[in-house]
Parts: sequence; structure tokens; C-alpha cells
Amino acid sequence: MKKIIFCTLALLIGAANAATIEMKVYGLVCGFCAQGIEKTLRKNPATADVVVSLEHKLVAISTREGQDIPDAELTQALTNAGYDVKGISRTQRSLDDIRAELKQAK
Amino acid sequence: MNLFRTAFAGLVLAGACGTAQAKPIAFAHGTTVMAEYGAGTMNEAQIFYAPKYFYSLGAGYLELESDIDGRRREITYARVNYLPKRWNLEDAQANVFVWGGAGQAYMSENNDHTFTWNAGGQIDYETRRIYSSLKTDLYRSDAFSHRIDTLQLGVAPYKHDIDTLATWFVVQGRNYTGGIHDGIEWAFLLRLFKGSGWIEAGVSDDGKLQAMAMVNF
Repeated sequence: MKKIIFCTLALLIGAANAATIEMKVYGLVCGFCAQGIEKTLRKNPATADVVVSLEHKLVAISTREGQDIPDAELTQALTNAGYDVKGISRTQRSLDDIRAELKQAK
Repeated sequence: MNLFRTAFAGLVLAGACGTAQAKPIAFAHGTTVMAEYGAGTMNEAQIFYAPKYFYSLGAGYLELESDIDGRRREITYARVNYLPKRWNLEDAQANVFVWGGAGQAYMSENNDHTFTWNAGGQIDYETRRIYSSLKTDLYRSDAFSHRIDTLQLGVAPYKHDIDTLATWFVVQGRNYTGGIHDGIEWAFLLRLFKGSGWIEAGVSDDGKLQAMAMVNF
């Protein structure tokens, strides 16, 4: 029982501290798409930075210290921007890491 | 005419360099400013603001000059654009746009002004390597009716991303009704865009300049 509680707490704490949210988005075919998505996501006070990759159908956000944006809110924001979210995950890699990986993949 | 040329030059100088297709709605809370010089037959300038991703409001100026008998139309209008359907696919996007508006037209043959309304639509399909669009624009009044149908097919030599310059080679076919141009006017265009701006230029089948600039912000 203690083990279950410990694991649950660890997961919750991990999610709460996760600095990067990565979304797989369909319909990204142009720079204007990226521009609209960035503009929408940067309006959220919890957003620190945004990276968009057309090649990887990726929209990644870093959140401000100790803050998170719920999945439903992210999905709504992207839907309101005119795009379809196909998956959301929280990762520990930074946006700088993502930028470096994207640059290396070119 | 001077107003149009000034607006067009302003857009080019603003650094117009994206989507591969001109769309009446760029993104939610975005403003689109566009100017087109169409081989001396058609000049157009538009400005639209989109409160939501599926509609935008704005105004435009269209100048048509017949290369058959020299008649000219200068149409100013207010317009609403609506996106009834979008398909977001893994590597592509397709859209259906419709629009309608009303305004005033100057007619050179009787040096008079008249009320005019307009309606139109566009369907498009785009990946990062190919795109196609078909657009129709109808302008009507008690004194005239002009429809402008435009087909564009484009191919990109490489896939661009948000931090690279997009390059497209485009073939355009345009048909005018109402005595503006006889037959289909073909044009071959080079289109470049990066960030918030886009510029394209080319030549029509009768050797005239065809150019367009657009900025989204």
C-alpha cells in the first residue's frame, strides 16, 4: 500500500514539476500556422516559451516555474486556433534540447 | 490606381517574404494585408482581421481593366469571410472558404458609381511540397457582372519549416467573365515566404507582370 501511495505521489509530483509539454498536432503545413499557434499559446500566463516544428508536427511549450497547463486547456487552445491535437505528453527535456535536436535532424 | 500602387509597394518594402496559398483567414486574432498586381487586368488590395480562426472581417479595393475595350471598374467593398470546413491531416491541410460583401463601384464607360455586391469561395489542399486551389469571385451590380475564377497549382522543390525560406513554383490560370479578358490568362510565378510575409512575382502568357505581396501579423 505504501509503495502504491509513494508511486502515485511520485507521478503527481513529476507531472506538477514537468517544465515541458509536447503536443502532436495535425494540419501544420506552413509558417503562418506556426505563427497563429505561437500567438495563441503565448497569451497563456503559464507559458514561458514555445517551439513549433512542421517537420515533426510538434508544438512544445515550456511552462513557468511551478506552473502547468491542463491538457483540456491546451487542446481547446489549439482547436480554437484551427488545428487538431493528436497527443500530449510531459517530458523532462528542455526547449533548448528540443531546438538542438530539431537542428541536428535537418 | 495610385492608392493601389502605394499599398503594393508598401507591402513589398515591409519585407514580404507562411502558407503556400493566399487565404482570407490566416489565424485567430491575426490581421492579413494583401496586395496583388494582376497583369494589368486586375489589381486588388485587401485587409482582414480574424476574431476567430473560422471567420474574418475587412475591406478591399478591386480594379478591373478590360484589355478588350478599355472599360474600367473600381470597386471598394466590405466583406465577411467564413471557413465552414477544414481538414487537418497528418501531413496536409484542406479548406473550404466562402465570403460575401457589398460596396460601391465606379464605371468608366459612363463615369458613374453604383451599388455592388460580391460573393465567392475557395477550396484548397496543401502539403509542404504541393498545393492546389480553386477560387471564384463574383462581383455584380445592376450594370455589370464579373466573375473571376482562379486555379493555382504549386510545387515546392524542398520542404520548408518555420525558420527556413519557403520556395514555390506556381502555375496560375485565370478566367474573367464580363468582357475583361478574352480566354484564360496563364501566369508562371515564383513564390517566397518566411515568417509573417510572402512575396511572389512572375509573368503572364502575354508577357505582363503578375505580382503579389502579403503580410500576416
